[in-house]
Amino acid sequence: MRGKEVIASLKEFISDDTLIVSSNGNVSRQAYNFLPQPQVYLRGSMGLPMSIGLGLALAQPEKQVLVITGDGNFLMGLSSMTTIGNYKPPNLKIIILDNAIYATTGGQETVSSTVDYLKLLEGFGIQHYGSLNSIKSPSKLLEAFEILLTSKQTTVLHINVEEDIENLENIPWQPKEIKNKFMEKI
Amino acid sequence: MIKSIDILNYLSENNFELSTGVPCSYFKELLIELDKSADIQYIAATREDEAVGIACGYYLGKKNCFLIIQNSGLATIGDAFTSLAQLYEIPLLIFVSYRGLEPDKTFPEHVIMGNVTEAVLNAYGIPYWNMKGENWRKILDEALERMKEDSSVVCILVEKGVII
Repeated sequence: MRGKEVIASLKEFISDDTLIVSSNGNVSRQAYNFLPQPQVYLRGSMGLPMSIGLGLALAQPEKQVLVITGDGNFLMGLSSMTTIGNYKPPNLKIIILDNAIYATTGGQETVSSTVDYLKLLEGFGIQHYGSLNSIKSPSKLLEAFEILLTSKQTTVLHINVEEDIENLENIPWQPKEIKNKFMEKI
Repeated sequence: MIKSIDILNYLSENNFELSTGVPCSYFKELLIELDKSADIQYIAATREDEAVGIACGYYLGKKNCFLIIQNSGLATIGDAFTSLAQLYEIPLLIFVSYRGLEPDKTFPEHVIMGNVTEAVLNAYGIPYWNMKGENWRKILDEALERMKEDSSVVCILVEKGVII
């Protein structure tokens, strides 16, 4: 499966009480196009979606906060996982869509394939669902989403996805509009 | 000199419930006091840009967080300002230690940033105040008013020994 198909298949698990933070580039465009609006669609601040998710989870403990990030973004913000591992807000969930490329900028390789994500997350002391290969076992995704979004602790799901450098149109909302619409729904 | 507890009480009265950042020895007493605070939680970030992310997420969740950083962090923090806090017009109060001034020159690692601290803030277009001494409440009142009115980042520069 491609990242956008994985994001689209999340739809049935997203309720009004799910707050999504999506990383800049294709991931936020896909979240905008395929999931209920409004959510936090990042235009820049590469490396920061997990930190933004941490702040949001602390401010809204009754809601589920779901961070959707690509591997390049996750690796740039890796040290923030230490902070998340320390404070562990139970309502923070993170999905890493790992296509091992910087897809939005034309498909340059990331160094993600060198990482053993399960050992890495264990090292941070963070609960993880595991690593799923969406290409080999797409049917396991739905079960994983259900477990992730009902889990009572900080949980991370790493998913290997197919390379896909097809870019969607930019999100038409201006950043201030994104902020205002998102805050109005809370 | 300003007592840490007085600043924290002021911030708590102004609805700040969270703080984050990366420590500076200029804020040692303030951080000790924060650790004891029942009203304001402190999240120890690993980097200053991460701290901006946490504070922006907290604001999007309709609550207020302030930052405590060293001025060296103004270099690390750039993209978090320009493509997050400023881009989305998220109000943000940041206490920045003003290192690299004359008495601090035994620490050469701070000198260059000390010389350009205000130029850096001007380049980012971030209003700042040098908070020293007795009119600190008035300075913070003014900074918070500006932050709310413009939905902007505001910085409070703090020299050595100002907060005890």
